[in-house]
Amino acid sequence: MSDAVLSLTDVSLRLDGNAGPVDILHDISLEVTTGETVGLIGPSGSGKSSLLMVLGGLERATGGQVLALGHDLTRLDEDALARFRRDHMGVVFQSFHLIPTMTALENVATPLELAGAADSFERAEAELASVGLADRLHHYPSQMSGGEQQRVALARAAAPRPKLLLADEPTGNLDGTTGEAIMDLLFGLRDRHGATLVLVTHARELAARCDRVIRLRDGRVDSDIGAQREAAE
Amino acid sequence: MSLAVAGRIARRELRGGIAGFRVFLLCLALGVAAIAAVGSVRVAIQQGLEREGAVILGGDGQMEFTYRFATETERAWMEENALEVSEIVEFRSMVVVDGPDGAERGLTQVKAVDDLYPLKGSVLLSPDIPLASALGGEIPGAVIQQILVDRMGLEIGDTFRLGTQEFRLSAVLEREPDSAGGGFGLGPTTIVRTEDLAESGLIGAGSLFETEYRLSLPEGTDLQAMEDTAEGLFRDTGMRWRDSRNAAPGVERFVERIGSFLVLVGLAGLAVGGVGISAAVRAYLDGKTPVIATLKTLGAEGSTIFAAYLMQIGVLTALGVTAGLTLGAAIPLLAAPILSASLPIPAAFGVHPGPLAEAALYGILTALVFTLWPLARTEQVRAAELFRDAAAPKFHWPRGRYLTAVILAVLALVGSAVMLSGIPTLAMGSVGGIAGALVLLIGAAWLVRRAARRLARSKLVRGRTALRLALGAVGGPGGETTSVVLSLGLGLAVLAAVGQIDSNLRTVIAEELPQDAPSYFFVDIQTDQLPEFLSRTRGDPDVRRVDTAPMLRGVITEINGQPAREVAGDHWVVRGDRGITYAAALGPDTRITEGAFWPEDYSGPPQISFAEEEALELGLELGDRLTVNILGRDIEAEITSFRVVDFSTAGIGFVLTMNPAAVAGAPHTHIATVYAAEQAEAQLLRDVASDAPNITAIRVRDAIDRVTEALSGLAAATSYGAAATLITGFVVLIGAAAAGERARVFEAAVLKTVGATRGRILASFALRSAFLGLAAGLVAILAGGLAGWGVMTFVMETNYRFEPVSALAIVTGGAMATLLAGLGFALRPLATRPARTLRGRE
Repeated sequence: MSDAVLSLTDVSLRLDGNAGPVDILHDISLEVTTGETVGLIGPSGSGKSSLLMVLGGLERATGGQVLALGHDLTRLDEDALARFRRDHMGVVFQSFHLIPTMTALENVATPLELAGAADSFERAEAELASVGLADRLHHYPSQMSGGEQQRVALARAAAPRPKLLLADEPTGNLDGTTGEAIMDLLFGLRDRHGATLVLVTHARELAARCDRVIRLRDGRVDSDIGAQREAAE
Repeated sequence: MSLAVAGRIARRELRGGIAGFRVFLLCLALGVAAIAAVGSVRVAIQQGLEREGAVILGGDGQMEFTYRFATETERAWMEENALEVSEIVEFRSMVVVDGPDGAERGLTQVKAVDDLYPLKGSVLLSPDIPLASALGGEIPGAVIQQILVDRMGLEIGDTFRLGTQEFRLSAVLEREPDSAGGGFGLGPTTIVRTEDLAESGLIGAGSLFETEYRLSLPEGTDLQAMEDTAEGLFRDTGMRWRDSRNAAPGVERFVERIGSFLVLVGLAGLAVGGVGISAAVRAYLDGKTPVIATLKTLGAEGSTIFAAYLMQIGVLTALGVTAGLTLGAAIPLLAAPILSASLPIPAAFGVHPGPLAEAALYGILTALVFTLWPLARTEQVRAAELFRDAAAPKFHWPRGRYLTAVILAVLALVGSAVMLSGIPTLAMGSVGGIAGALVLLIGAAWLVRRAARRLARSKLVRGRTALRLALGAVGGPGGETTSVVLSLGLGLAVLAAVGQIDSNLRTVIAEELPQDAPSYFFVDIQTDQLPEFLSRTRGDPDVRRVDTAPMLRGVITEINGQPAREVAGDHWVVRGDRGITYAAALGPDTRITEGAFWPEDYSGPPQISFAEEEALELGLELGDRLTVNILGRDIEAEITSFRVVDFSTAGIGFVLTMNPAAVAGAPHTHIATVYAAEQAEAQLLRDVASDAPNITAIRVRDAIDRVTEALSGLAAATSYGAAATLITGFVVLIGAAAAGERARVFEAAVLKTVGATRGRILASFALRSAFLGLAAGLVAILAGGLAGWGVMTFVMETNYRFEPVSALAIVTGGAMATLLAGLGFALRPLATRPARTLRGRE
């Protein structure tokens, strides 16, 4: 049996747009193995983020099969998908997506609470400390800078120790220095917890830090090569 | 600043449509409509009363006497000045019907008429026969209102007695044209001919009756001059003048008061709407942040931007007010057939500009009060700040001129309410109450948020994710807590206040009073009937107490030689005739507070012992001289003592007591209060009435029922007003829920991403809605209870008792309303796919 944590077979995605249905992804097949770091790159509109959403069960593929840790995500209902993410997955977004009515600590503790952790707040506090926000526990998102918010989002994604970390352009809304710091944190977290990381990015230097780079074009896999080779090309 | 540029910007902005302003328009329209409708009905009734004044009065003018018929001189003056004079005699009596189980008795208001009655309008009978033929016949005919006919089990053609005179029921009295002109009657009406009462023994010297002489006057008669002449000639003999200009003063006063009160309740509705208006404008301006920022970047001055948005709000206000006025004018017109059928008085339904203008003024001022503050932010805040403001708006005081404008608008609103309501003290109280409730609610919203925030962080709720999420949402920034607590809380507070006052009044009437109230009032007991009456009642083991007092009626015409009305104004004691008694000695329960009661054998100049509280209100002092007209004779007497008179026990209480020698010679009767066990009441009435058919018994329980009935009507009218406020509150609530939907869609998407199931998310949404409703309900109970306490303590001067049933209903209702609104707007967030929502915000 393969040690693939993610396995996609002929996955396609069609969404209804204002001008009619639009095919976003076409017959994508790929596997991601345990502990791998994968960069998804490609021009705007190539389907990178959509593919990431499909991997996370946040978008339901309209064709093919998505296996994550042995679960067929295309067969799970909305609540089962939520439970799957709760138990196995952390997601980081470009726009952080923190809940504005919650403090940093509450945002990070929420997935732990949902998972039934008795020490959710203690763990959340430790996670926030590990991203350098020990003194910002009780601040609301609106009281923090973009970099700080993204660190909270990282802590939230990493706190439940997920087997899979998905990140959608996590530095897209940040300046260069802050973005670099966030990526250091993200890779640091991955290294510490040994999670599999799938990262959507526009930045070549970020992609270069991954084990493997998948380039998408028009909703199809254009190339799937090692990061060093991608950088060389 | 260029107004032209601002105007062009405003016009272009409005091209985007008014979809975001549905709550704004609905709140304004509802508030204005409620006030316009109430005002229109009030004016319709007032105009109806004016137009139909002569019919309601039963003549163009009327001279009224208590206890006596007009003298020859008075009658001659009437004949000389009027085309026709119709004489009506009114008194209370008992309809007696002989049945197999003995005689049954029912209290009735007898209207004895002559052949000219009615001078104006017409009497409607069932079967539809002329009144003259209904009252004729070998056995004199009579007509009675349906309710008494039913109660007595009478059929057309049956006979019954009034006093000792037998009458035959010839028809049911469906409508009498002059029914609204009189006062508060305790019994249904019976009409008979005066001449048929000659042998009844009911209208004798000392009996309690009133005579009304209806005058048909020549076209163009100067009523004021006529009144002045009549007053000049006959006022000191106890004559009271009324004419068609003010045919039903009681009804008119009542309609004006209840109308004004309901307009004030409507103002509370507008205040609730104001919360929604303010929230809508704030949300609109938040959405316009990029536009404002861009305009500023392009060189637009802050004042230009303010003017542009003020103009937009002005246009929307005009739209909302117009819609409200249209609705407010249409409702009374559409409801006219139903209202006309249920009103005992004529109403001239139509479009009345006065109340519409009043409603429009309130609407415009409310819109100004609630929009100036958020509008002022557009000028004050820098563009860069506006860009960062979306998540947690920072608090800014508006610039001085805007703050001044807001204060002026508030003062104009309060001033208009005080001036236009006609009841300045009530208006001040109501506006103060609304403002107080708003302050209380703002404070409560702040407290709720703080408490929720604290609780959300406490260890108690850790692990209860749905609960913590709900508390976090209630306590967190940018939520809907303040607007929901304010809007729903104010609506519920009005309803709670009405509920508390209504139930307290009912408690006072239904429970407290009867404990020490008598079973019956007996009136018209002749002096020679008194010994037998006392032996029957005092000899009954079920009767625990009998009080009697001689009773005369008189008018206080002068105080220290000055006309009483000039000295005492419109105080009820000098308005019309009053009951007067005499006593040789002080009763056992009576307490003198000042001065001394006359000796038992006193026979000197007339003296008066006056009720202390009323004396204080009238500014009377010991030694003051009152002129009292009794049966046309002036008696001048000196006040020599003040007494405590407690009218709340429903026992015998007289404002004026005189020494016996002063008045005992005048013809008079006696009244009595009998305190009996309930099961003995019926037999007691039968015995007393058989012995003395002229005596009228008024059952106190029946009188209380009538008062309770009247109160129910008032409470219902007020509840409708409060319901309008509550509907507005609900609109604001829905507006807030709708405005929060986008935030909930996002929140649900994030929660799903981190692993929350739909059930958990729904539980969290439901909990937060219920919390908010509960909080609003609790604060409303506090505010309503405070208002109830204030009204009962200071206006009604009685004890206040918290009424838990209506309070519980209001808290439950509040929680249910928010829950419904919240759940209604939870469907979309639950159904939305996280990816689309989250990517949409990237």
